[in-house]
Amino acid sequence: MSRVMRTPRSVTVEITARCNLRCRYCYFFNNPVVEYRDLPADEWLKFFDELGSLGVMEVILAGGEPFIREDLRLLIDGIVRNRMRFAFLSNGGLISDETATFLAGTGRCDYVQVSVDGSCAEVHDSCRGKGSFDAAIRGIRTLQRHGVGVAVRATIHRSNVHDLENIAHFLLDELGLPDFGTNAAGYMGSCRGNADDVLLNIVERKEAMATLLRLAAKYDGRISANAGPLADGRMWHRMEEARTQNAPAFNNGGHLTACGCTYSKIAVRADGVIIPCSMLAHLELGRINHDSLAEIWNNSPVLNQLRNRHTIPLSGFEFCAGCSYIPYCTGNCPGLAYALTGIVDHPSPDACLRRFLKEGGTIE
Amino acid sequence: MNQTDRPIANSIVVLREEFDDWAVLFNSDTADAVGTNPVGVAVWKLMNGKRSIEDIVSQIRKSFGDVPEAVSKEICTFVNTLADNGFVGLALESK
Repeated sequence: MSRVMRTPRSVTVEITARCNLRCRYCYFFNNPVVEYRDLPADEWLKFFDELGSLGVMEVILAGGEPFIREDLRLLIDGIVRNRMRFAFLSNGGLISDETATFLAGTGRCDYVQVSVDGSCAEVHDSCRGKGSFDAAIRGIRTLQRHGVGVAVRATIHRSNVHDLENIAHFLLDELGLPDFGTNAAGYMGSCRGNADDVLLNIVERKEAMATLLRLAAKYDGRISANAGPLADGRMWHRMEEARTQNAPAFNNGGHLTACGCTYSKIAVRADGVIIPCSMLAHLELGRINHDSLAEIWNNSPVLNQLRNRHTIPLSGFEFCAGCSYIPYCTGNCPGLAYALTGIVDHPSPDACLRRFLKEGGTIE
Repeated sequence: MNQTDRPIANSIVVLREEFDDWAVLFNSDTADAVGTNPVGVAVWKLMNGKRSIEDIVSQIRKSFGDVPEAVSKEICTFVNTLADNGFVGLALESK
């Protein structure tokens, strides 16, 4: 297990609670513990000074939709002034030529991640709203034209699970992206109210896994995943192979080892509350410009508890009792575990191979 | 103005001390990063444009116990590597 850095390398900052879209599975909105309000620029600029003094390398600007902030250039100037780089998580719909010119001119923008969930407007807009596909693609093309790095993330849900082949072709062959990432809608935020319409059922999940594994092989190395059907498919194949061969436990197997984020990253909500991660927005560690980030990073009992999850054996959970996959299982994302069970220090049921198989899933 | 033989750290480069006194030098303009051990960290902090390489080696010998003979060559190599990557320049002569 890696050790904790003296200060975070990367900080995700939700610079706004506003968004031009209302996606049906958005993890950000409809979280009852979050206060949805924006801070003035001077609060963020003061915080960026603190990040600079701590040697933070990268600020991930998220939201809401970060490009909705009218004073965005001022904020980016504050990041650049403090010798940091930056990236965006965006829906792409508000990126103009002027914005892209500015980003390129800083020389510090690592990438703008744009969400694209379909190969056409009909599929993409089904969860993201009318006009959002055209706007996202326009944003991507604008960034490409100005030489700003583009990363695309496709979130898999019930309305696009049959469009995966077309999505891969569109993004990689037509738009000419070097690669793209995938994940899946999770039971968080707005998705809780739309779960039946959005979340994959077992049959769709099997289809998504099989299709994405096939496409990942076809587009050698150009489709990635840290979560969702492709990541699950890859991990579960390894686990099944190890179990059938009675292989020794994986190095990180048998304990809650999946999340290493808290060793190098931290996040801040739009209202200035410091949290371990956007997926754990209820764990309030302090407030920017009131509490020292270095103090929180090094001494927060909540953060340290998260960092010690790797010492918690899966064999101690009733949920895992008798499971033959324990030596090969890591418990997966604590954010999703919390969303589904109400307990952070618990394996995520969504990532449970035994449950997947019991419900009719197969590993082919 | 002519260059001196006194190395000076590029002010855009960030020294991130991480754990066990090891560190990363990070150039935020290029996104290049170089990992370094505690001696490298000390050398980096001494490169202020006022000390020559010989001055720096001498200071390192004083600061660290049991310094091997090869340290002078190793520090030169380290500084040259940093210079090749734009992390270090040479101070200019002052009038």
